[in-house]
Amino acid sequence: MSRLPFLFIFAGIIGFVLFHVSSLISLVGWISDYLRGPTGWFHIHLIILGWATMIAMGAVYQLIHVILQSKIYSEKLAYFHFGFFTLGVSGLLYGFIRGELLWIAVFATITLIGIFLFAWNMCVTLFRAAQWNAITISTACAVLYLFLTGLSGMAMGLNFAFNEWNTLHERLFGAHIWLGTLGWFGMLITGFSYKMLPMFYLAHGFPTRMQYTTLSLWNLGVLTGAASFLFEWDFWTEWIALLLITLATITYNIHISQVYKHRHKRYPGSGIAWSVYSCRALALFAALMLIYLLRHPQDLLTAKFVTIAGWIYLAGWVAFMILCYLSKIVPFLWWTHKYGSQVGKPGTPTMSGLLGEKGVHIGLSALAFSLLLLFAGLMFDFQTFVLIGGIGFSVFSLGYISLIALVFTR
Amino acid sequence: MDERSEEGVCELLRQVYDPELGINIVDLGLIYGMDWKEDEIIVRMTLTTPGCPMHETIAGGVKYVLQGQMGFNTVEVDVVWEPPWTPNMMTEEAKEQLGYF
Repeated sequence: MSRLPFLFIFAGIIGFVLFHVSSLISLVGWISDYLRGPTGWFHIHLIILGWATMIAMGAVYQLIHVILQSKIYSEKLAYFHFGFFTLGVSGLLYGFIRGELLWIAVFATITLIGIFLFAWNMCVTLFRAAQWNAITISTACAVLYLFLTGLSGMAMGLNFAFNEWNTLHERLFGAHIWLGTLGWFGMLITGFSYKMLPMFYLAHGFPTRMQYTTLSLWNLGVLTGAASFLFEWDFWTEWIALLLITLATITYNIHISQVYKHRHKRYPGSGIAWSVYSCRALALFAALMLIYLLRHPQDLLTAKFVTIAGWIYLAGWVAFMILCYLSKIVPFLWWTHKYGSQVGKPGTPTMSGLLGEKGVHIGLSALAFSLLLLFAGLMFDFQTFVLIGGIGFSVFSLGYISLIALVFTR
Repeated sequence: MDERSEEGVCELLRQVYDPELGINIVDLGLIYGMDWKEDEIIVRMTLTTPGCPMHETIAGGVKYVLQGQMGFNTVEVDVVWEPPWTPNMMTEEAKEQLGYF
């Protein structure tokens, strides 16, 4: 079995721990601070690149052969990808802490090379397999958006260095955030869930039309939003982009309900059950935000609104979904590595024996509660809620990831 | 019961579990058929989902059990996708264990 997914998951877990430890050290003070400075850049890129993207890439390498029933184009290239990406992100984060422009420039370039290697590997793999369905199309779109996110980030970095296109900087920034958060993560998580969710529910015979509706709406939303930022279109274009994304979250939840209706396994496991709750919450928050903006259009690009929306989406959905699915990914990886050759021998444990359901349920419940507290604190300016919610989020995250990491000792 | 009968083989294959579901491959209804001649056996089976990540481990388990406990020298596992597996192929015990409905 390839060691590739292990590398990414171990590196991702390290990134995750570093993020939460540094967050606790600052007594989560950074959450309420202005994010557009080196401290904010450090924290955001640590969790986005050092953890979420790292884990997502590992999951892609692990699951691509499940989805395509063929191997990745080049495992060697994937190792180079890991090397460049890990080195690049590490140096980039150091550059952010120190505010060292040259460091940021050099290591952002290295990171981008890593991303390009990943994108190339995935493109060739997908095109060679030539199996186009909602899962593979979503994956291809996700990889494209990741690459565009990296490019736009690089462009911003170059502007910092050379001040050549200051008028473009803010536009690139908006597109960079939109493409990375909604494009890369949104497409990848929804796309892979089209395969994973029915597997864990043992669902068969469910309709798939909503998968295509979701990916179409989501893509339209991503492209509209990115274009809106790049070409400085008006509020209504941005609102329409949000509307498209909101509609996509609704059709995505309809799809989830259809899978649920066609399930043959009563309970898919706590991690998957919580992932469904997170998707429901995402659609609700998206709809509420949309309605709020109709009444308060001036709030759309304020720091407060962007911070809240970012936390809800990135922590409440992206990060939470990854944590939910880790409860399946890690036991599967470890079980296959350690016990895969022992199938049929007496005493071979099952996968469920590697990670306790109760711990997963308690961990994710505590995380969800902490996040809701944090969101409320940010929305209503209750600093106590921000403090307790933020500390809870980090403490329970560290507890949960420890549970996950303990699987590797079983 | 002659061990080298279909029932005997299936009884042995109950030792091979889908590690995610925790149910053996016979009760899951994954075994479609088998043919053997002297010390060679071909087991025709499927998996619960195309591209199932447990493909190699389950096939390995089938080989281990049939080589080790039934003395077959050559065990070939032919994973097929037609007819596609459906939950109806499970035994009542398996359905009950999953909370099937």
